[in-house]
Amino acid sequence: MNDTKTNEIHEVDLLPDVHKEVVNMYNHMKAKHPDRLWMAQLQMDHWNDICTAHERGKKLILTSTNTPAELIYAFDAVPFVPETLIMRYANSDKTFKYLDLADQYVSHQLCSINRGQIGYYLSGDLKMKPDAVLSTVTPCDSSRVAYTAASKILGVPSFCLDTPYRQDERGYRYIGEQIKEACKFLEEVTGNKLDWDRFREILERGNEAARLLTACSKLRQITPCPLPGSLLVLNEMVGGMMGSQGAVDFLQAEYDYGVRNVKAGRGVTPGKEQFRVIWLQNMLWNNAGIVGWMEKAFNAVLVMDGFGYEGYQVIDTSSEDSIFLGLGQRTLNSPMVHGASGPAEPWIKMVDRMIGEYKVNVAMFAGHVGCKHTWAASKLVKDYIYEKYGLPTLTFDEDGIDIRYQTADQIKATITEYMETLIANQKKQG
Amino acid sequence: MKPTIAIDNAYIESWKQKGGKVVGTVCCHIPEEIIHAAGMLPVRIRGTECTDDRDGELWMTDYACGFCRACLQNLISGKYHFLDGIVVSDGCMFVQRLYDNWKVIGNTKCKVNLNVPRNHDHLAVRYFVDELKILKEEMEKLSGREITDEALNASIDLYNETRALIRELFSLTKGEHPLVSGTETLQWTIKAMSMPKEIYNQELKAFIEEAKGREPITGYGARLMMIGSAVDDPDYVHIFEEHGGLIVTDYNCYGTRYLWQDVTRKEGETPLESIARSYLEKLTCPRMTDLHDEMYEDMLRLAKEFDVDGIVYVRLKNCCLWGGESVFFYDRFKEDGYPVLTLEKEEITTNAGQVGVRAEAFVEMLEGGTD
Repeated sequence: MNDTKTNEIHEVDLLPDVHKEVVNMYNHMKAKHPDRLWMAQLQMDHWNDICTAHERGKKLILTSTNTPAELIYAFDAVPFVPETLIMRYANSDKTFKYLDLADQYVSHQLCSINRGQIGYYLSGDLKMKPDAVLSTVTPCDSSRVAYTAASKILGVPSFCLDTPYRQDERGYRYIGEQIKEACKFLEEVTGNKLDWDRFREILERGNEAARLLTACSKLRQITPCPLPGSLLVLNEMVGGMMGSQGAVDFLQAEYDYGVRNVKAGRGVTPGKEQFRVIWLQNMLWNNAGIVGWMEKAFNAVLVMDGFGYEGYQVIDTSSEDSIFLGLGQRTLNSPMVHGASGPAEPWIKMVDRMIGEYKVNVAMFAGHVGCKHTWAASKLVKDYIYEKYGLPTLTFDEDGIDIRYQTADQIKATITEYMETLIANQKKQG
Repeated sequence: MKPTIAIDNAYIESWKQKGGKVVGTVCCHIPEEIIHAAGMLPVRIRGTECTDDRDGELWMTDYACGFCRACLQNLISGKYHFLDGIVVSDGCMFVQRLYDNWKVIGNTKCKVNLNVPRNHDHLAVRYFVDELKILKEEMEKLSGREITDEALNASIDLYNETRALIRELFSLTKGEHPLVSGTETLQWTIKAMSMPKEIYNQELKAFIEEAKGREPITGYGARLMMIGSAVDDPDYVHIFEEHGGLIVTDYNCYGTRYLWQDVTRKEGETPLESIARSYLEKLTCPRMTDLHDEMYEDMLRLAKEFDVDGIVYVRLKNCCLWGGESVFFYDRFKEDGYPVLTLEKEEITTNAGQVGVRAEAFVEMLEGGTD
């Protein structure tokens, strides 16, 4: 890209910058909250792996959360999901310059997660350049732009898996066939051949992570909910690390923490748990603290969200065919893709299951403004919830990345208004 | 200017009176040839004639693109009362949501959601063939008629004739003294989607002959190419032509991109395979992830062929596909010597005055540039 657009910003080196921040956060946690160090450890593992990839002679592959990370690990390369970078910066003004830079090239209505990525590529601040892009066409039109832009702007080879929204064996096989082609692409990029024994070993680690995620989700079905809503945000990082030991260790620690709380009959709210909340889709990445605030202010715990629910299936590693089929299935059923990004019907069914399984009594649609396709189906989902469960869904708009759109206080005011009405109604009904 | 053909027009009325069935399509990646081969009339859903999209907005919210909201509004308000079926692709997020909402609230008996791949390699073509088999079965059920290979081949031939005629129509905008305006070409491509092709081809042939004897258009200030999101409103194009521009070609799925590249046949292919491959290869919309470079080269080729002075890039508000495509072409168009005017559009045009001001300034700038 040439520099005809205005770009009066000082240069930074993004990956070392974020790495430094994470190390500081880790050290702070170690000193102040050693019992919660496992939460910081996940982020340390994640960013260490990415930021030292080239030093360790490994290729860095820019990838999307729904692309099987196991495949990248199997080629002895490191997956780097750029969404995690923008989410890491989401509550700081560091994001603004990248969003503003992208706005000079693309429509402001593209999702800010993707505009932020495009801004990174245009800025030249991603000095540790990924070696290739391996992505899928999901979840949305904005992401389709961002991953192609990564390849074009950074000048690196790319491979895009076409993931249809048809969640049936034909759809899974179609993706599985493409994953086989992606293996050839990764062979070329990394110079490594696929070692099937190593691949199976990585897939089994991914399976272990999938089982633990399911186990943690099951714990959330217990009343009082033994795990805080904020961990749902952290769980989102796991997608880009499936197959790594770091993901397994984190989820094992999360599970153990939840079990300890269950045994002690301990929930996460200061008083008796009053409200079990679901968010129909996204998380507030730049205002994740609101989840903890709801717990304290209203004894309301976010028990599940439509982003991470039933995220990963276990892959049958008994044959090559079952592996590719399983990877195809996992790609289509990964968080964000399995729910709101395809036809609305599976999303409605998913929300229906969530409400039943998690004994939900409050539904909220924290509508990220960039996630426009979720808005365009939200009435269908909310009508369904109201008709079947009698729950009116709180709807509000927010930008999960750009804090200039709506402040935490504005969002809290909206939630407070709603919760106070609920509480008043409960009192009236005795 | 002459009026644009109405959604509910005399051709459709006549078709229905004869007992014919009509199938609405959303997105130009739906091969109409299959619907036509079943003896039914495909008509493309559009947002024109919608002046108030409150029901569309109720269901899709104002975070959806205005074009899809207006299409849904037209369906809800009964403008498409004559439909026996509807086929909607997953062309973009909002087209998918148009289907999702209409599936729940709509009264059309037959509703098909076609999954169109976003790559065009051999695996994608194979997958799309299977999708088209499903569409074929649905159309056979709706029409009560088997779709034979002979019927498909005949439909491909008829549609390729339409494509050739549309290319000929646009050739009349070439040269120093063009014979037709961009408003007229868009009216004609919209007409193509709103009536039987057999009659359309005859009418377009006659128009082309008549236009060849016209006095050339003079007095315009700049030759423009309109690219971007769906523009199905000739009145919008007319704003530019009222302000000194002449839209000589476009990259618009309601204009040239509707029926331009032929369905070609390769040895050993079945008609469905030819359709699947040709529809995935055609350069239409940034939804295809592996055709961005080809699309740019094609736009550039058209700009040269039609001797364009500047590019009008229209992006519908909330259209992320065209809204993002600019990252691939802004700098390249500049490097290739084509100034770009970017405009954000809503389907219901309420700012014609301001669009006119922008158009006039752009034309003046281009005129200054050539002096």
